[in-house]
Amino acid sequence: MKSLKKNDRGISALPVLFGIAVVALLFALPKFVTNTYALHIMILIFISVITGSAWNILGGYTGQYSVGHAAYFGVGAYTTMVLLQYRHIAPWFGIWAGVAVALATGLLIGSICFRLRGPYFVLASIAVAEIFRVSALNLKDLTNGAEGILITDIPPLRIGNAVVTDFLSKVPFYYSGLVIALAVICVTWLVQNSKLGYYFQAIREDQDAAHSLGINLTLYKNIALSLSAIFTSLAGSLYGLYVGFIDPGTVLDLGLSVQIVMTCIIGGIGTIFGPMIGAAVLVPFSEALRSNVIAQALIDSGLVRESSPLGSFLKEQLSHAHVLIYGILLVVVILFMPDGILGFIRKLLAKKRKEAA
Amino acid sequence: MPLLEIKKVSKFFGGLAANLDVSFAVESGIILGLIGPNGAGKTTLFNCITGYDPPSRGEVVFEGRRMNGLRPDAVCRLGMARTWQKVRPLAKMTVVDNVMVGALCRTNSLSTARAAALEQLRVVHMEHRANIKAGSLPLGERKKLEVARVLATRPKMLLLDEVMGGLNPAESEEIIGMVLDIKKLGITQMVIEHNMRAIMRISDRIVVLTSGEKLAEGGPQEIVSNPAVIQAYLGESNA
Repeated sequence: MKSLKKNDRGISALPVLFGIAVVALLFALPKFVTNTYALHIMILIFISVITGSAWNILGGYTGQYSVGHAAYFGVGAYTTMVLLQYRHIAPWFGIWAGVAVALATGLLIGSICFRLRGPYFVLASIAVAEIFRVSALNLKDLTNGAEGILITDIPPLRIGNAVVTDFLSKVPFYYSGLVIALAVICVTWLVQNSKLGYYFQAIREDQDAAHSLGINLTLYKNIALSLSAIFTSLAGSLYGLYVGFIDPGTVLDLGLSVQIVMTCIIGGIGTIFGPMIGAAVLVPFSEALRSNVIAQALIDSGLVRESSPLGSFLKEQLSHAHVLIYGILLVVVILFMPDGILGFIRKLLAKKRKEAA
Repeated sequence: MPLLEIKKVSKFFGGLAANLDVSFAVESGIILGLIGPNGAGKTTLFNCITGYDPPSRGEVVFEGRRMNGLRPDAVCRLGMARTWQKVRPLAKMTVVDNVMVGALCRTNSLSTARAAALEQLRVVHMEHRANIKAGSLPLGERKKLEVARVLATRPKMLLLDEVMGGLNPAESEEIIGMVLDIKKLGITQMVIEHNMRAIMRISDRIVVLTSGEKLAEGGPQEIVSNPAVIQAYLGESNA
């Protein structure tokens, strides 16, 4: 009966203070850390937190497992980049155009896919997202096809005559990512603590029961999808501007959709912190695999000799196997931590508390 | 004017008539028992009334308003709520959150909804279960939760689909008490039930369906002495 002691909204002082401290630390980080690679990883984590949390509103809370979120990511990125490169519209206007297009895309996809349930919804969401990828490949006049769009420069952001930032370093992208990530986390919290959250979860648990309790399924599913599409599109725009290059194979890829879902599954579905944990684990992990850090560390620590067949195999091949290892990790999580890392930790804590009592 | 009027409602699945020209009326404030052998079309009729499976022909009129074509959520907001033969708890949400989902039909405020939900849980004697997950309740309590949840939508009329199905006699007795309590609140009820002793006790009127058609209608005493009903339930030679 411990949960009874919590107040109505389940807020207690300690986690709030901890959260504020973490946010302050993140805002101060670029002042102390000048290592561009560290900042690069942080920006990738932020983008992953944004897409994961955005997916979580639709998939985690409302139970509509979309495996086509690359569509919103790509549509946002393409809108911003096309406007910037070919129409010379500054990205801080362009991203909102991207949001508008992603919203329209979302309502179109929703009107098709929300007629379906369960695995059929998943398949339809994949199919519709693939339509966007193939279209981007073929509408060469608009998207430059498979060659993608390379932006030559981003105009400096001015307020009055003062230049706020010129986007030459990684720092402005770091802060943009941080602010959008905080925004999506705030929105998730607001959703969870409002009628929306209750209705979303009711739809996830049992659509027919939800319907019979006066919940307009079409309306609330579309609200969830809209919130999700808005933030996924912002993440896409940020990614495009940060990397400076997009093509259908990166921003509209099925692999991206899967990765967004995996961030949530590994972290913990339907919770505020799940996508953050997922992103904080997966991004550094996949970077470490890709850049051969792990193989090198094994060799440096003396566990594996570089000259041995295993050593040379790891050094040559491990970086190519990151997708394989990713897959194995997913299987392990689903088998042993069905509620994700967050759910696993909570279970451990509850067990300890029981033993202590 | 009756609260609910069913006018020549038919429902066809391909060539099969699950309901055929069923007509009856439900007066405000009563408990109407809907009985019939398996496959008689009782649940199909519920689905026709509440918008899950709109009738192929005929009319459903609630408070003088034609209900055909309305979606289930709109039907619920107009004041007609239903439960399910197979219970549908929102398993990963707590008991009080389940009832709050119902209460949020009439309010946007979580605190108002929570207060209303706790009140409903008291009505069904489940307030001590408020903070556990609905998925971990035993069947008897799941059925009560189901009722508390629809009551929280503040219905004028309640359609109960086999709320006593699968329960032991003690639990059934509790449900009977609950149904009679709900009647005292002035809420009209239509009850599908296979437990004959229970249905005879609680019903003011009974409608008998067989093979999709209305066989008989009347007070409990009329129904038990109706030869056609006895024949439908027990067969020719026992009549």
